[in-house]
Amino acid sequence: MLEKYKTQFIGNSIQFVVLDEKGLVRESDNTCFLLKTGDSLKEFHPFFESLEAIVPEANNEITFNCIHLESEGKELITDLVLRREDNALLLVIYDLTQHYNEYQSVAQARNESIIQEQLIALKNIELEERERFKDQFIRNFSHEIRNPLTSIMSLTQVLSQTDLNAEQEQMVQYLNQSNAQLRLLLEDILSISMISSGKLQLVEKEFNLIKLLNLLTFTYTAKAKEAGLEFVAEIDEKLPQIVASDRLRIYQVLTNILDNAIKYTETGQIEFSVQLNQKRANKANIRFEISDTGRGIPEAQLESIFTSFTQVYDKDKEQGSGLGLSIVKGLLRLMDSEIQLTSELDQGTRFFFDLNLKYPLPSSQRTDKKDEVLDTVVRKTLKKDKYKLLLVEDDVMIQTVVFKFLSGTDRFFIEIVSDGAKVMEEVVNTQYDLIIMDINIPNISGDQIARLIRDFPFKGIKDIPIIGVTGTLYDEDIAAYKAAGMNAIIPKPFAQEELLKAVFRYLK
Amino acid sequence: MQKSKKVLLLGHFGVGKTSLIRRFVSDSFSDAYKVTIGVHITKKVVDLPSGTNLSMILWDLEGTDELHLIRNAYLMGTHGVIFVFDVTRPATFQNIQRDLDIIKEKVKKAPVLIVGNKMDLVDPADVKRLLDENDIDSDYLTSAKTGDEVNEAFLEMASQLDA
Repeated sequence: MLEKYKTQFIGNSIQFVVLDEKGLVRESDNTCFLLKTGDSLKEFHPFFESLEAIVPEANNEITFNCIHLESEGKELITDLVLRREDNALLLVIYDLTQHYNEYQSVAQARNESIIQEQLIALKNIELEERERFKDQFIRNFSHEIRNPLTSIMSLTQVLSQTDLNAEQEQMVQYLNQSNAQLRLLLEDILSISMISSGKLQLVEKEFNLIKLLNLLTFTYTAKAKEAGLEFVAEIDEKLPQIVASDRLRIYQVLTNILDNAIKYTETGQIEFSVQLNQKRANKANIRFEISDTGRGIPEAQLESIFTSFTQVYDKDKEQGSGLGLSIVKGLLRLMDSEIQLTSELDQGTRFFFDLNLKYPLPSSQRTDKKDEVLDTVVRKTLKKDKYKLLLVEDDVMIQTVVFKFLSGTDRFFIEIVSDGAKVMEEVVNTQYDLIIMDINIPNISGDQIARLIRDFPFKGIKDIPIIGVTGTLYDEDIAAYKAAGMNAIIPKPFAQEELLKAVFRYLK
Repeated sequence: MQKSKKVLLLGHFGVGKTSLIRRFVSDSFSDAYKVTIGVHITKKVVDLPSGTNLSMILWDLEGTDELHLIRNAYLMGTHGVIFVFDVTRPATFQNIQRDLDIIKEKVKKAPVLIVGNKMDLVDPADVKRLLDENDIDSDYLTSAKTGDEVNEAFLEMASQLDA
């Protein structure tokens, strides 16, 4: 009975083969493979060819697990035992195909999962590296281009103030327009880079929403008129006047959409509507909507227009970087909102989004007044006729530009130092009223000099106002320059008004 | 003159050991990844310039990153080792020195070739930089998919075994 069960259970899975010293088959029960007397195992499968040198000692055996054996179309996964018995070799073949196949499935799933994890981790590292490279490239590019751009813009401005004939005036006007476009493009590239890298932080401050909307209405009425279009603004009277949010970014979103609307509308009108959805607690939910009677957007492109560098129509005919709507989408996401649109070909497009803005705020009315008071103070408290300014800048073009901007007011004596290492000597020897300092100057950086000045033991030197000028617009850099002791930072390129406003603000 | 030599292919799983053998033995390739369990043994006879008829018995071992756990029975009678890594997965070569030390400890005197596989998936310049960074001196950079450098690697092993 036991023999019967045993045969049933293992009968088809174990083969015994007796071999001579040369590896030729003497006997085989042929349970798994057909082996005839006199067959050479070496010829049967290459596994046995590699065993020639491995013959077990007397009464010893060697076990090989999980060996794949194939013969005459049959493939088994086996454990093999080779054993020396008297004057012969015994080979036992255990067919464990089913068992090993189950293990194979488990190993397959495990290995695939591990490989996938490794590849994903690697892909992430690669993406992060690419992102870092892109950020650094844009940062450097933006920084490097700002010096020549400042020179071009500023010298164009200076040029426009000289005696020009009509033709020259026209050319300077074209130059100014191109400069403005170039500057906008640069700002767009920087914005999209900062949004995508998560480095753009909203600055929430109180501001007058109605004033902002009126400014936009005024500006775009003129722009629309110039383009032969009508501009219709509907500003809800129930809107709160003062809100707290990032004014600059809201302005950026609205101007991007409005510019687009004008750009893609040949006839008809642009409607700009701002309506109060609801007020709850101290938050106002406001719907901003801009619609045009332009050419519309094909349905297939409704999604892709929010992708960077995408323009729906022929690029040769359109100006702009194709970054505008991508910036809008990114900025609104930062403000917990989502841009939405409906469009019909040759009928027009409607963009809209809702913003939750805080209102009213305890110090609401103070914001505007504060600025007004500040302007008055600036104008009224200048005590001297002439002030001594030190300009620390190594770029000759920028030196010329700043010199031209400041000398036009006839209020300054200006000294120029182009080597960071000479600044302290100059500051100690001459009592300056203000320093305008480039951040990247040879030998010692502008922020390091600011730190040295602030640490100086004598009053009159340690408290000289310092205005930094830089091509860097990253928040963390600007914060670091201010922490080093700079009173204000002016980004390049800058206009004459920006520079003068900052200078007068810090003069005593 | 006829010789028979046992060559082990070792390395982490998924590096392409089976594909390299398949390319060398039957000049074919499959993109499908099937995990090897245990060991597959195949054979290719190569005619060497020396006149030797070398029968290469190729042992394709189940991939593992724990080389010290490989069964001793698999290693017995080994004449040469080809250690394979995947150039797209640093995990397969970051500890190569430790892996080679284990191999040399277990299979003394056998020549060891180091082969980086899957070159068709990467830029050679990137691989060179990566290998330099990890201080890896590979003998061959292959692609089982395109066949690039595959025969060269196996024939180099054959030559070394014939010497």
